[in-house]
Amino acid sequence: MSALLRLFENEVQIAALSFMAVVYVVRLAWIFRFKTRRDRTFAAGDERAGAGYSLMNIAMPGAMESTRKRPFFYAQFVIFHLGVAAAIAGTFIIPYAPGLFRHAVLVRLFRAVVGAAFVVGLIRMGRRLTNPVLRTVSSPDDYFALALLIVWFAAAVLAMPNRPEQGEAPLIAYFGLTAFFLVYVPFSKICHYLYYPFTRYYLGRSLGHRGALPPAVKAKEPA
Amino acid sequence: MPFVESEGRPVEVNEEGFLVRPEEWTEEMAKHLARVEEGLAELTPEHWAVIRYIREYYLDKKLAPMVRKMCQATGFPLMKIYDLFPSGPAKGACKVAGLPKPDGCV
Amino acid sequence: MTRRRKVPSAVVDSPLDTRTQAKAKEDRLPSVEDGRLMTYEAGDNVGRFLALLAGRISRPLAVSMTACVHCGLCAESCHYFLTHPDDPTMTPVWKADQIRKVFKRYVDWTGRIAPWWVKAAAPEGDEDLNRLKNIVFGSCSACRRCTYNCPMGVDTGLLVRFTRGLLTELGIVPEGVFNVSRDQWETGNQMAVTEDDYLETLAWMRDEVRTELGTEAVEIPVDKPDCDVLYTINPREIKFDPRSIAYAAKIFHVAGESWTMPKWGWDQTNFGLFSGDDRLGAYVARNVYEAADRLRAKRIVISECGHGYRSTRWEGYDWAGYDQKRPTESVVVTLKRYLEEGRIDVDPSRNAEPVTFHDSCNIARSGDLVEEPREVLRRVCADFREMHPNRRENFCCTGGGGLLSMAEYRPLRLESAKIKADQLRATGAKLVCTMCHNCVDGLNDVIKHYQIPMKVVQVLELVSNALIVPPRRKA
Repeated sequence: MSALLRLFENEVQIAALSFMAVVYVVRLAWIFRFKTRRDRTFAAGDERAGAGYSLMNIAMPGAMESTRKRPFFYAQFVIFHLGVAAAIAGTFIIPYAPGLFRHAVLVRLFRAVVGAAFVVGLIRMGRRLTNPVLRTVSSPDDYFALALLIVWFAAAVLAMPNRPEQGEAPLIAYFGLTAFFLVYVPFSKICHYLYYPFTRYYLGRSLGHRGALPPAVKAKEPA
Repeated sequence: MPFVESEGRPVEVNEEGFLVRPEEWTEEMAKHLARVEEGLAELTPEHWAVIRYIREYYLDKKLAPMVRKMCQATGFPLMKIYDLFPSGPAKGACKVAGLPKPDGCV
Repeated sequence: MTRRRKVPSAVVDSPLDTRTQAKAKEDRLPSVEDGRLMTYEAGDNVGRFLALLAGRISRPLAVSMTACVHCGLCAESCHYFLTHPDDPTMTPVWKADQIRKVFKRYVDWTGRIAPWWVKAAAPEGDEDLNRLKNIVFGSCSACRRCTYNCPMGVDTGLLVRFTRGLLTELGIVPEGVFNVSRDQWETGNQMAVTEDDYLETLAWMRDEVRTELGTEAVEIPVDKPDCDVLYTINPREIKFDPRSIAYAAKIFHVAGESWTMPKWGWDQTNFGLFSGDDRLGAYVARNVYEAADRLRAKRIVISECGHGYRSTRWEGYDWAGYDQKRPTESVVVTLKRYLEEGRIDVDPSRNAEPVTFHDSCNIARSGDLVEEPREVLRRVCADFREMHPNRRENFCCTGGGGLLSMAEYRPLRLESAKIKADQLRATGAKLVCTMCHNCVDGLNDVIKHYQIPMKVVQVLELVSNALIVPPRRKA
């Protein structure tokens, strides 16, 4: 392994992660500066149940009409985010637990998941470029973030066998993109996962307080 | 805003079918509005009793009369007003009488 | 808003009409003079708008601004977009973006440094603010159906209300919104009903019920202290259709209820919900709560009104900064209790025609009542059938959010009502029941426009029809 690759796998990652962590702390402080207002009414339901139900939304496609009617779209979401998880895991495994990737089965599994996410990314890019609603609302950040992830997935698939002796380019690309990604994320829509707990908690708590969530009886579809 | 024809003249109505300029109202207009907006092929003397009361009240007070007053003046019970004007006193009778749309969610 | 892309748009291009505002200023109305009711003034409205935005944004709203990932799932949950599928400006995401872009430009981070990168943009003049007014007042009923369908939990319905509130503070509102706000500030009720009108109508309905039941024992007490129930109504019930007051009086009488209506603070409706004005919201709600305090009533009961229920039962306490002290419920819940406790007896065969139920947005999505009206209807109707979708997934009547008071947006909302029309027709029912006066008018507009052979009724009417009056309750 060259000194450059070692740098990318370690110091550069740590620097990028630290930068991201610092920015996240500042971002969270910024969010907490905005005020909330307490509820002065008697509850008609359970705030915690509502918040919990709301937070579980991504794991419950049947809960919303929008995901219930588009199961394929939901499946894409699952695959894409599993790919993100796998690709991030890879950036820790390769420098700190390389033994794991000496098992061919594991490498194949990771590459399959990230590969599938790559395909989903292409599908979603196609959609964002052709669907009239998405074309109207999408910003350069929306397109760039998706493009970045697609390329990153490709680099991950190529890099995961972790054989620097066969050419370091995929590994350098993978870790280089990861570092860039970590620095870029806090300023982009990609950090939506940071906001998810907030939006879902506040919505769920408010609707839970009012007894609107979780639903006691599901809306019935026609027979 | 759309225009409707009345006695050869164009008269402006708003999106809900109420007259934009209430002063342009005529009895011919009332018949037209009743037919088009309320589905009333003709106006009976009972209809006219309500319409005339509303019109006079409006010209005097610049306001739509409350349904209670309509009932008192004409002697009709509330149900009768709804029978005569299916859309009710505000959207039905007041519209036919050439009043502007009443304020509020109604 | 530097480069304006040509997108198809059904957004109504309605200019700002300040004639009634001018008259209110000329008449030196107290609410205008002391700044409770804001009017439009030429000047740096954009600057004022931005300052209000930054000052008022709360944490739940701020995260709704930042969390949107432009996935587009909300689009198909909105009746405006479903009926205008070629118009991206009818989607919740686009509508929310019109205020989100300003937040990104002025409050958020990336948008301040590289606005074009995240499509951040501040409005450039009063024309832009007027256009925003047409979007948030005229192409959205704030029904929150999109909120329930967003995977991130973005509350577009609340963002729309927030934006309306900013514009209301600048007097950049549709004329209808100004007029109703003015009336509610000046007279304490939404329709400028006078105290005499109010008392006379109550007396009239009392007399009607006395005639119907053949007994003088029926009362509609006004300002009676120490009762169990303080009953509050929608001014529409006084001005246009008092039958619902008669139904309530009859049922309370048969149930032997200890009740009263207040002389002041009887309006449970609240235009502050629609205009986004928490100040007006607080004033109106507080009138009701203080009436209950004054009369030492044990509970507040709200007649059938969607936004009134949401405002008086839920939002109003927060707006007014008043901790809830006493049960506050919809009259439908009261009726359910009467039925369960056997305080009233009903014969469902008296409501023989097939009935379906329309869920009001402010009661089902923003409130707690979904099964309660159904439990009542199943007892008082012979043939109750659901429409689809129903409950919290039902569609707005299209007259919500104050749209009924804004004539200029009517053609667009009637187009968006096609979905509601199809829903109604598919039930095969003759009657559609709803717990909201606004929905009554909204649905009536849909029925008339799409020529559907149905009538709109409310729960009180159906219960009153089915009511078996025991001999001791009449002459």
